[in-house]
Amino acid sequence: MNHLKEKIFFAILGIPVLICLAAILWIILILSTGISTLRWELLTTSVLQGGIFEMVIGTLYLLIGAVGVATPIGVLAAIYLVEYSSKGRFARIIDQALNNMAGVPSIVVGLFGYTFFSRLLGLGISMAAGWLTLMLMILPIIVRGTEEALKMIPSSFKEAALALGASRWRAIHSVVLPAAAPGIITNILLGMARVAGETAAILFTSCVLVTRGLPKSPLEPVMALAFNLFVKITVLGESSERVFGIAIVLFLIVVSIAAAAIVLRIYYRRKQPWLR
Amino acid sequence: MVKVEIRNLNVWFKTNHVLRNINLKVKENSVTAIMGPSGCGKSTLLRAINRMNEIIEGCRTEGEVLIDNQNIYDKNTNVYELRRRVGMVFQKPNPLPKSIFENVAYGVKIHRMTSGSKIADIVKRSLEEAALWDEVKDRLNDSALTLSGGQQQRLCIARALAVNPEIILLDEPCSALDPIATAKIEMLIRKLSEKYTVIIVTHNVQQAARVSDYAAFLYLGELIEYGPTRQIFENPRNELTEKYITGGFG
Amino acid sequence: MKPIMRKLIFIHKSLREEPIILILFLCASSSIIFISLMFGFLTMEGAQAFFTFGINFLIGRTWETNANLYGALPLIYGSLMVVSGALVIAVPLGVAAAIFIVEVLPFTFRDLVKSLIELLASIPSIIYGFIGLVFLAPQIASFFRIPSGTVALTASILLAMMSIPTIIGVSGEIISSVPKEYREAALALGATKLQTIKTVVIPVSKSGILASIMLGFGRAIGETVAVLMVAGNIAIIPEPPWNFLSPVYPITAVIAMQMGEAAVGSLEYSALFGLGLILFTITFIVNTLADVIVRRESKFKGGVKR
Repeated sequence: MNHLKEKIFFAILGIPVLICLAAILWIILILSTGISTLRWELLTTSVLQGGIFEMVIGTLYLLIGAVGVATPIGVLAAIYLVEYSSKGRFARIIDQALNNMAGVPSIVVGLFGYTFFSRLLGLGISMAAGWLTLMLMILPIIVRGTEEALKMIPSSFKEAALALGASRWRAIHSVVLPAAAPGIITNILLGMARVAGETAAILFTSCVLVTRGLPKSPLEPVMALAFNLFVKITVLGESSERVFGIAIVLFLIVVSIAAAAIVLRIYYRRKQPWLR
Repeated sequence: MVKVEIRNLNVWFKTNHVLRNINLKVKENSVTAIMGPSGCGKSTLLRAINRMNEIIEGCRTEGEVLIDNQNIYDKNTNVYELRRRVGMVFQKPNPLPKSIFENVAYGVKIHRMTSGSKIADIVKRSLEEAALWDEVKDRLNDSALTLSGGQQQRLCIARALAVNPEIILLDEPCSALDPIATAKIEMLIRKLSEKYTVIIVTHNVQQAARVSDYAAFLYLGELIEYGPTRQIFENPRNELTEKYITGGFG
Repeated sequence: MKPIMRKLIFIHKSLREEPIILILFLCASSSIIFISLMFGFLTMEGAQAFFTFGINFLIGRTWETNANLYGALPLIYGSLMVVSGALVIAVPLGVAAAIFIVEVLPFTFRDLVKSLIELLASIPSIIYGFIGLVFLAPQIASFFRIPSGTVALTASILLAMMSIPTIIGVSGEIISSVPKEYREAALALGATKLQTIKTVVIPVSKSGILASIMLGFGRAIGETVAVLMVAGNIAIIPEPPWNFLSPVYPITAVIAMQMGEAAVGSLEYSALFGLGLILFTITFIVNTLADVIVRRESKFKGGVKR
C-alpha cells in the first residue's frame, strides 16, 4: 500500500521532466517546419543578395572577440582566487561582486556598455564596444568555471612541482593549468554559447541591420544573427517565413556549441581518474 | 538460539563479485565481530542483513538471510519493517541536522509507533540505554551537530534503539573516534548484548577480541573462519586467520 | 598598525619573488571595478530623471514619451507581474523535476536527462521570443478568445519555459549535495524513499532551493527580448491588477524599445538609465540576499563533525 502511494507520487514528480523533454521536441519541431527555407547558399550569400553570410561571420567575430578578451582576465582572476588569495574579507567581496555581475540583466549591461565603451571611451557603435560589453557578461562564467576546474586538481600535483623547486607560479602554469585545461575550455564554450545568442547587450553597442561587407576593423559596426532576427521581427514586422532561416542557423550554432561543452565535460570526467 | 542465519550469500556490484558463498549463524544476545582487511567485503556482509546494499546502484544479491527463520530476501518481506527490526550504526557518526530530541524521535515518528508524551519517554529511555542521557538531558533541543564525535555516535546508537530493534549492526563504529570515546562505545556494546543481538564490523583486531563473543574472519569476499572469539584468537585453524590476528598483514 | 605593516612587507616580498601576482590581483579585482563602474554610470546618467520627478519617478502612473512624463510604476508592476506569474508556474515544476532527476531517475538516464535540460537552458532568448510570438501568442489568443495573444500571460508562460531549466539545474545541484550519510541514516531506520525525501532531503536543501528561486527571480526580471516580443508593450497597470490577459510593458522591454530613439542627454535618455538603475538595484539586492542565505547555510553545515 505504502509502495503504491510512493510510486504514484514519483510518477507525478516525473511529469515536469517529461514536459521539459516535450518542450525540446516542440522547439525542434517548430524550427524544422522552416527547414525548407534553408539552403546552403543562404550561408554563403551576402546580405545584399538576400543571404545571411555577414550575419554568421559577424556573430562569430563577436563571440571570438568577447571570449578573447574575457578568457585571460577570467582565468588569471580565478588563479588568484584559488591559489593566492588568503580567503579573507577581500576574497569575499570579489566573490560577491562576481555573483552580482552574473546577475546584472543583459539589457543593463548593454546600457552601461553604451555610455562607457561607446561614448566615454569613444568606441562608438563598433565590434570592439560589443566585445567589451559581452566580456562583462561572460567574465563571471569563466571565472567560476575556472575556479571549479582548478579546485578539482589534487593539491598533490602542485606540491610535487613545488617540492622539485618550482616557484608557485611555475607550478601553477606548468602543472595545474594543463591539468585543468579541459574544465576551463568547457566553461569557455559555455560562455560562447551564451554570447552567440545574446541580443540585449549588443543592441546599442555594436550592431547594425546592414553593413557593406564584413567589418574591416574592430571599430566598425557588425551584423549579427540575433540582432537581425530581433529587429526584423519587432521593428520591421517581417513575416515568420522570412526570418526562419536566421532563427534556425542561430539555434544550430548555439546548441552545437553548448552540446560540445557538455560532451567535453562528460568525456573528461570519465577519463580523468581524480575527478572520481 | 540462532537469530540470524546466512545461507549461500553472494553479492555482486556490477561485475565485481564481492561476497562468495557466505554461510554464517549468529546467536541471539551475543556480540559477533566480523574482521578482515579493508575491501574484503565485511561492510557489504553487514549491509546484506538489513538490505541496505539495495540502495547502491548495480548491486545484485543471491542466497538467503534468515532472521528468526524468515528469509528477508523473500518477495513479500516489508523492507522498511525489516530495517526497523535491524538497526544500523555507521562508520562516520551521521546525526541528522535536527535537534538531539528529534534525532532520537525520528524513527519513532517515521514508523508512527506512538505519539505525544510517550515519544519523550522513548527518547529518554533510548538515550539512557546509549549512556548519553546525563550528558544531554539539559540540551535536548540543541542541534545534534553541536555534540562531540563520540557523543554523536552514541546518539546514533540511541536513535537506532528507539525503534525497538532486535538486532543492531555496527559498521566500524569507532574508526572516527579517539581512544576514550572508543572505550565508552565498547562498554556500551557489551551492555547492549544483554538485550539485543549485536553484529560489529571492525578492522581492529584488539577491538574484536575485547568486545565479541564470536568472531568471523573474512578475506577477499570469502568467510575464512568463524567460531567463538577465544578459540579464534587462541587457536585459529586457518593460517590466514592466524596471520591476520597476529598483525601479519595490512 | 603592526599587522598592516607586516602584511605590507609580506606583499612586497612576494611581489619581488613573483611579480605576476600583481597582474593576477588586478584581474581578480576587475569584477569589483566593473560592478562599481556600472553602478556609478547608471546613477550618473539616470540622475536627471530622479531629480526631475523625485519619488514620482518610482510611483508615477504615467509613462508617456510624447508628454515627456516618466512615472515607472506601470513598468515596475508589469515586470513584477510577468515574473511572479512565471515563477508560480516554474518553481513547483522545476523543483519537482529536480527531485525526480536526483532521487528517482535511474543512474543510467540521469546524465542524459541532465544534459538535455542543460541544452534547453542554452537556447537563446531571441529564439524563445520568436517561438512565443509566432506560435504561443496565437494559441493564447484563440484559447481565451481575445483579439491579441501578446499579453502578460503569454510572457509569463514563455518566461517560465525559460526559467525551468535553470531552476532544475541549480536546485538539482543542491539536492544532490545533501550528504549521503543523511539519506543512509533515514533509510537504515526503515524510512521509505518518500519519507526520506520529505523529512531529510527537502528540509536540508530548503534554504539552498530558496536561494536558487531568488536567483531565478533575478534572471527572469532581467530577461529582455523574449518578454518584449510577447508582452504587448502598453504602459498600463492592468484592470483589475491581476488580469493576466492584459498587455503590460516590463522595464526591460521599455529600455530596449526606446533607447534607439532617445536623444543623448535628453530627459527620456536619463529616464531609461533610471530604469536601468532600478533593475540593477533589484537584481543586486536579490543576488546579495541569495548569497547571504547560501553563506549562512554553509556555516551551519560546517558544524558537522567529520
